[in-house]
Amino acid sequence: MSQIFASQKFRRIAVQGGFILGVVALIASTILVGKSNIADQGMATGFGFLEQTTGWPVNFSIIEVTGRSTYARVLWAGLLNTMLVGFLTLIFATVLGLLLALMRVSSNTLMKLVGASYVEVFRNVPVILQVFFWYAILTHLPSPKQAYTLGEAFYLSNRGIMMPAPALSGSDMAWLLVSVILAVVFLGLTRERLRLGPRWAIATGAVFIVFVVVLLTGREPDSALISTPQLKGLRFVGGITLKPEFTALLVGLTLFGASYIGEIIRGGLLSVDRGKLEAGRALGFSTFQINRLIRIPLAFRAMLPSLTNQYIWLMKGTTVGIAVGYPDYFAIVSTSINQSGQTMELLALLMGGFILINYSIGFLMNMLNDRIKLKGRS
Amino acid sequence: MKNILTSLAVAGTMALGSVTAVQAEGQGLLDTIIERDSLLCTGHNGSYLGFAEVDGQGEWQGFDIEFCKALATAILGSPDKLQIIPVSWAQRFPSIQSGDIDVIIKVTGWTMTRDTELGLQYSRPYFIGPFYVMSKTELEAEGIADLEGGVFCVNAGTTVERVLTDYMETNGIDYEPLAFEKGEELRAAFYAGRCDAIAGFGPFLSATRVNADNPDDFEILGDVLALEPEGIVVKQGEDDLLDVINWMVSALIMAEENGVTQANVDEMKANPPTASIGRLLGSTPGVGARLGLNDDWAYNVIKTVGNYGEIYDRTVGEGSRYKLPRGLNNLWNNGGLLYPLVLD
Repeated sequence: MSQIFASQKFRRIAVQGGFILGVVALIASTILVGKSNIADQGMATGFGFLEQTTGWPVNFSIIEVTGRSTYARVLWAGLLNTMLVGFLTLIFATVLGLLLALMRVSSNTLMKLVGASYVEVFRNVPVILQVFFWYAILTHLPSPKQAYTLGEAFYLSNRGIMMPAPALSGSDMAWLLVSVILAVVFLGLTRERLRLGPRWAIATGAVFIVFVVVLLTGREPDSALISTPQLKGLRFVGGITLKPEFTALLVGLTLFGASYIGEIIRGGLLSVDRGKLEAGRALGFSTFQINRLIRIPLAFRAMLPSLTNQYIWLMKGTTVGIAVGYPDYFAIVSTSINQSGQTMELLALLMGGFILINYSIGFLMNMLNDRIKLKGRS
Repeated sequence: MKNILTSLAVAGTMALGSVTAVQAEGQGLLDTIIERDSLLCTGHNGSYLGFAEVDGQGEWQGFDIEFCKALATAILGSPDKLQIIPVSWAQRFPSIQSGDIDVIIKVTGWTMTRDTELGLQYSRPYFIGPFYVMSKTELEAEGIADLEGGVFCVNAGTTVERVLTDYMETNGIDYEPLAFEKGEELRAAFYAGRCDAIAGFGPFLSATRVNADNPDDFEILGDVLALEPEGIVVKQGEDDLLDVINWMVSALIMAEENGVTQANVDEMKANPPTASIGRLLGSTPGVGARLGLNDDWAYNVIKTVGNYGEIYDRTVGEGSRYKLPRGLNNLWNNGGLLYPLVLD
């Protein structure tokens, strides 16, 4: 007996196994106690409410949602809203952050100054204040009847930014999305066989042809190809409208996120050992080659872990949308709790949704990291 | 919180038990009020604009306060024999159970839980609490249908959200909903012009309007989305007091229906145009004794606070800064829901 305990291997397994059992027991007992408490209060439990209709509307969603939609559909719309604003934020903030980083590491004093002031201003003001600020500016624009206009096609009012858009139906959009995905797959598959130029030409050309075909087919005769916004009563119809809630949240998060991402990228660029760059120069590489083949790959490797953190943080930052009336996942869950009273279930769904999104981001970034990290080291 | 308040109320009742027991012997709350020569009525902890608010001189004013005064006048003959006790929304039910107040006159919706489980009794509704839509004056909308296609803002997660959705669907009006989590954010967005209209409980809307930089920029539309009947509340079993309250509300409405006002009530009493006005004002006896009051109680009430319409206009209606439309709080023959009981 004592020999078994003396075995280090056994002790290690016993400790770890005991710990896991303890955690599982803790979680299980919490759920059971919670369930019996809720039952004692005569409250309904379970996820049956997801099938019920909500009875309240949602201001903005990618899929169609009305008061007759089920809770499941409305929650899905909220999750899509969060992903829409979140992924757009990540893309824009990364582009802007890259520009800021390049400004800050350049040798031009004015660029350095602009970059540094930007970072200090936008990094040091809480993100919710920034979102409020942009929202206040957007809602203090003139009303639709007095909207600023650019050539009767673009309008700027306190109802949002209205612009013309190709008159595409929902199924047209779906076809377009499929063609874009196929083009990306094509780009990936032909990497070894074709040169960069022809690959891109084929991919974009194919997507463009699909776009023209869906635009021209399956439409009512004599309707315009381009839908332009027009004032009708109290609102604009036609075209695309970027609502103030969406715009304020996207702009606020992007500008805030760019200041952090800019610093992360700058850190990555500065981390590249000067000796390696000089070695490249000694071998006769041009500046472009040094950047493309030595500096950026090494910097990317250094900054990827912090970038992953920042991306996940920004995705969680979309929850400030509730303050300006943007129906993101958190806002929808919050309203659903008030209306249906299913607090525990909805909080679980809220956490589950964010874990799903953020784990996916982390997973993709880790895959990227695995591909570019130095081989043979861990 | 609710549990704490309930247990506090129970403890309070037990502490007061000895006193109450003596008074309760063969004696209703109405007799207790007459003996005490003072009515304990509800105020508010702070200001509920238009209904119970403290003015610049430190005096209580408002629609509910006028009804407290009317009740004090009916029972005790003078509006001065009234003590306003400030209580919060949550406190009002424990307070009446413990005897800290005699009646609740505090826009209290008539719900089944309160009527049965809380051991309370409701008078006939003295105010029809409406859910309205407020819009901007410059839009020149006469009704909700004129706001077709507009942005309607509401408080997220409230009854109003559902009420508005149902109304718009029933009436086939196309609109853009926008929900805010907090009242302040909702108001700010409305003032800034993000919304063409906001939907909400009438008193909330009129307070929103009055707090704007320029209240005349906004107007409450007459269309009612839904309503909640508000009654005066007494403890279960206080039938005598409840009778007085019901007939007092009826007298105020009857006075308006028959054109009896604060100004002409003396003339009407001296020279009643109809027999029922004569009975109401005590020119011919009968109206008082059956309630255990003096025959001139209704005359005193109208002399002191005016008829229902006068109270409404003075405190929340056109004559006040809130400009809440009469809407359904009008006489039955004027498109409203108010009617007097039969005074025979």
